[in-house]
Amino acid sequence: MPTSSADQAPVATHARSALSIRGVTAGYGDAAIVHDVDVEVRHGQVVAVVGPNGAGKSTLLKAILGIARWMGGRVELNGKDVTGLPLQQLARLGIGYVPQIEDVFEALRVRENLDMGGYLFSHRERAVRMEKALDFFPQLRSKLNRFVETLSGGERKMTAIARVLMLDPAVLLLDEPTAGLSPELSRAVLEEQIKALGEHGKAVLLVEQKAVAALGIADWAYMMVQGRVVMSARGVDVLGNPEMREIFLGAKGPEDRTA
Amino acid sequence: MQLLIEAIGFGIASGAVIALGAVGFSVQFGMSNVLNITYGALMTLGAYIGLFLIDRGISPWAALAIAGVVVGAASVAFNRGLLAPLVRRGTRAFAIVIVTVSAGVVLQYVIVVFAGPDAKSYGEQSGQTFHLLGMVLTASEVTIVVLAAALMLGLHLLLTRTTLGRAMRATASNRILAQSCGIATDRISDIAWMLSGMLCGAAGVALAITTVSFDFSLGAVFLIPMIAAAVLGGIGQPYGAMVGGLVVGVASELAAAFTNPAYREVVAFGILIVMLLVRPHGLFGAAWATRRLMA
Repeated sequence: MPTSSADQAPVATHARSALSIRGVTAGYGDAAIVHDVDVEVRHGQVVAVVGPNGAGKSTLLKAILGIARWMGGRVELNGKDVTGLPLQQLARLGIGYVPQIEDVFEALRVRENLDMGGYLFSHRERAVRMEKALDFFPQLRSKLNRFVETLSGGERKMTAIARVLMLDPAVLLLDEPTAGLSPELSRAVLEEQIKALGEHGKAVLLVEQKAVAALGIADWAYMMVQGRVVMSARGVDVLGNPEMREIFLGAKGPEDRTA
Repeated sequence: MQLLIEAIGFGIASGAVIALGAVGFSVQFGMSNVLNITYGALMTLGAYIGLFLIDRGISPWAALAIAGVVVGAASVAFNRGLLAPLVRRGTRAFAIVIVTVSAGVVLQYVIVVFAGPDAKSYGEQSGQTFHLLGMVLTASEVTIVVLAAALMLGLHLLLTRTTLGRAMRATASNRILAQSCGIATDRISDIAWMLSGMLCGAAGVALAITTVSFDFSLGAVFLIPMIAAAVLGGIGQPYGAMVGGLVVGVASELAAAFTNPAYREVVAFGILIVMLLVRPHGLFGAAWATRRLMA
């Protein structure tokens, strides 16, 4: 059943592979949620992983990061095996992560959230990076001294993405960055900010429930159903694929159709 | 009126000791989310280490510093060796609390094995007294109040002005996210346990300095006022615990002065019960309580 349009050249084929996931099986306790999944993300690419609820999309990200239980397979970062490395070491190697929920430090101010994003760097370097992150999200400039719990949903999400930009990671793993945002804000986050990350040379692996919007900006996409990749192709091709329509329209409600 | 002012003076002195202990307790809870009842026995350990050192001619203040470091190291070992493995295995919070109660009893009786069950004393402290706004405080009490204030200020500056402090607050707030920033959370956790253990040990010696005599139950008895202070301030909140410590200290001394000295502990228990019933997130409310180790 898995289909692939690998024969159609993915965008930026000349780019080096940033993150390569081979045959990953992972889950929680003894239960495997993700089965034998292969995913590849190249520098400068936004790669979307879409699928209905319970498809194992978030578990895949958590497996890469060592948060979910690893049961088999291999993860390579720039060609180097990083399978099973602790999360803090993956950060040091250049993998940034924005979780779906609890994506900010509630107890910290916006400025401190960004500062922790640049924890691995000197004070001076952090100041430079904070300026760059704030150029990306100028709306946060006036909110730097606010605790994040006082921010709106959109501002929180900006803080979360700005925090991960402080790390200046080569690879970004974003778990439903538009969760809880209004349709307008979701579109803005995906079409303006996340797309721009790819354009800035980042390798972005984006897990998104709002499939239509995510596929619209994705250079390449994987569709997962019940823990397995059933389709991989350019984002626009997955979007136009009748099978994708069937999976989503059959399994999901109107929210995703309009997303 | 004079009795009231004097009681407030005693309350500030005992509140400073309670605050030291409660702040340490809160730092530990904020970092680990574990209600560590062994904290009381660790405080007793601090008092007995102080006794051991003072008996060998070391000044009480040097003894306080040394006991703080030793209890800090013991706290780290206790967390690394016992609590962290239980947390990693997903042991239920209730079971972990029972483990800390049991470990506290074991430690208490280990102290008895080495030091005996008899009441101990650090001996006569300086007889010099200070008169301030009608309050009469001994030199030791004044020193402890100043020391507690200095330690609280130091902790505040650490938590808010340094990368280490922010990393501690970040780790307490969201451990996975902290790791994703490259923060070595196990090391940060060790530092937090060290700091809280140091405050615990220092509080044990400070309590013994201000007490005529003490025995192996010192920390166990003092645990309730400390927990009451921590709950009053919103558990996990060092700043709340400072305020809570002073409130519990002053309230207990007022009760002792105007009713019966035996009611001193009753007040702490009473505050604990009322707070849990009326404001379970502490005096400053739920929003504050979410900001573990906040700035």
